[in-house]
Amino acid sequence: MPLISIEHVSHLYVGTGGTPSWALRDVSLGLERGRFTCLVGPSGCGKTTLLQLIAGFLKPTAGSVQLDGKPISGPGPDRSVVFQEYALFAWFTVRQNVEFGLRVAGMKAAERHQRSDELLAMIGMSHAADRYPHELSGGMRQRVAVARALAIHPEVVLMDEPFAAVDALTRATLQEELLRLWQQLGLSIVFITHNVDEAVFLADDVVVMSAHPGSIQEIMTIDMPHPRDRGSPEFARWYARINAALHRDQKQKQAA
Amino acid sequence: MRDEANHIAALEARFLAEHQRAVRLRRWRGIALNILGVLLFLAVWEIIPRLGLANPVLFPPPSNVLEAALPMFGSGEIPWNILVSLGRAGAGFLIAAVLGVAIGVATARAPLIRDLVEPLLHGFRSVPVIALVPVSVLWFGIGEGAKVALVATGAFFPIWINSFIGVRDVHEIYLRSAACLGANRWQTLRYVVLPASLPFIIAGLRQGIAIALIVLVAAELAGARAGVAYMMSMGHQLFRVDIMFAGLVILGFLGFAGDRLFVALCRKLFPWYRPSA
Repeated sequence: MPLISIEHVSHLYVGTGGTPSWALRDVSLGLERGRFTCLVGPSGCGKTTLLQLIAGFLKPTAGSVQLDGKPISGPGPDRSVVFQEYALFAWFTVRQNVEFGLRVAGMKAAERHQRSDELLAMIGMSHAADRYPHELSGGMRQRVAVARALAIHPEVVLMDEPFAAVDALTRATLQEELLRLWQQLGLSIVFITHNVDEAVFLADDVVVMSAHPGSIQEIMTIDMPHPRDRGSPEFARWYARINAALHRDQKQKQAA
Repeated sequence: MRDEANHIAALEARFLAEHQRAVRLRRWRGIALNILGVLLFLAVWEIIPRLGLANPVLFPPPSNVLEAALPMFGSGEIPWNILVSLGRAGAGFLIAAVLGVAIGVATARAPLIRDLVEPLLHGFRSVPVIALVPVSVLWFGIGEGAKVALVATGAFFPIWINSFIGVRDVHEIYLRSAACLGANRWQTLRYVVLPASLPFIIAGLRQGIAIALIVLVAAELAGARAGVAYMMSMGHQLFRVDIMFAGLVILGFLGFAGDRLFVALCRKLFPWYRPSA
């Protein structure tokens, strides 16, 4: 049984002008435990909607979303989310942010401290434990956001374009660190991006989505071992394949 | 190698020293200019009546005001009036702060209540509280309770409205972060909603302090047996403009000191938040 199963899910919203729009139409997808899945697609393809349905922020108009065979009824600590930016609590220090989920779960301070120490060491932020988010660079903030999401040992980590707002060099470093954490901790990750390079570098499975209505275009499994070499011909082939799938969709839409 | 390391260390030390001196200089210059501004104001005020540009009886210079005020300080009259006024303003403000924040949060968190009270809130706040003074005198007389109640009413609205707006507009991403990390409703309120809306709550409290003073004066002028504004109305009846001016200066100072104290308190309590000075 897949960790997350999405069965015949449709999500409607009221668009501008009061007409109903399909963010997702009849989407089915199974996500396996321990895999790194990237959702790729143009804006309007419903990738964020899909992520929010798994997170429990939204309820599907039709169909079902299940975690471990149980329907998802709302947000919860078994599915933590890393947002694009500005999601760290500005009034808490780095450590307090990382410990937030443990604190609300009632864990004792000493135990909490130990776990945040481990995580901060893992992301190379031990020196900044007592700083506030506004004192950190964009890359450091996203490291902390990842640590905060991992602290509660979620079943799955949902990441909504987490590295889109940082510069290219930092992004490359963050991607490598994330892969290391994923391997080290055996995480299950669902990662949204519109960056094909990022998807080829990170993912086991790439779900290419298309827009109007949001639906799944193609699912590919990249079996290249990590670390992946961006300069290799194999990398280029996967890049070209995903790119072609994205553009095929646009051509179809134009022809129609 | 060694020389180069020494050279770098020396350069760093010199840079740091210069930087610190520049920071210190800027700070002292700021304070000096602040004081100069006050002195200039006093000088102009002193000169205008002395040059005959205004009648010194109707527009007494600061030296006359000080002359009138000093014995009243000595006799304890002014300190007593200040104490009475501060007590009323403080008690009223405290009641307003507690009720305003509590009701602001409660009305903004529950969507049903939010829609229920929003028009009332906007209606109430467009009524100047001073308009309530005559009604209040009829209802409660001119006793202490009535004055405190009036101050509390006046300060309540800006605190309520700002808390309401702050809580209503807490960024969705904060609430979602809290929810997916497992926070329940009460934990979300305490650890997320309240701190996130703090800038608005603080702005409301600050406005509340200013309004508390305005209402306090109105209430004391409407009838009182002590207080700074009462002292001024006595000055009015005795045609002692210098005493009235002393009252004005005291009120100005109280407002200023209250605001500074509030800002300092915020800095201490919320190191991550910087209220604009």
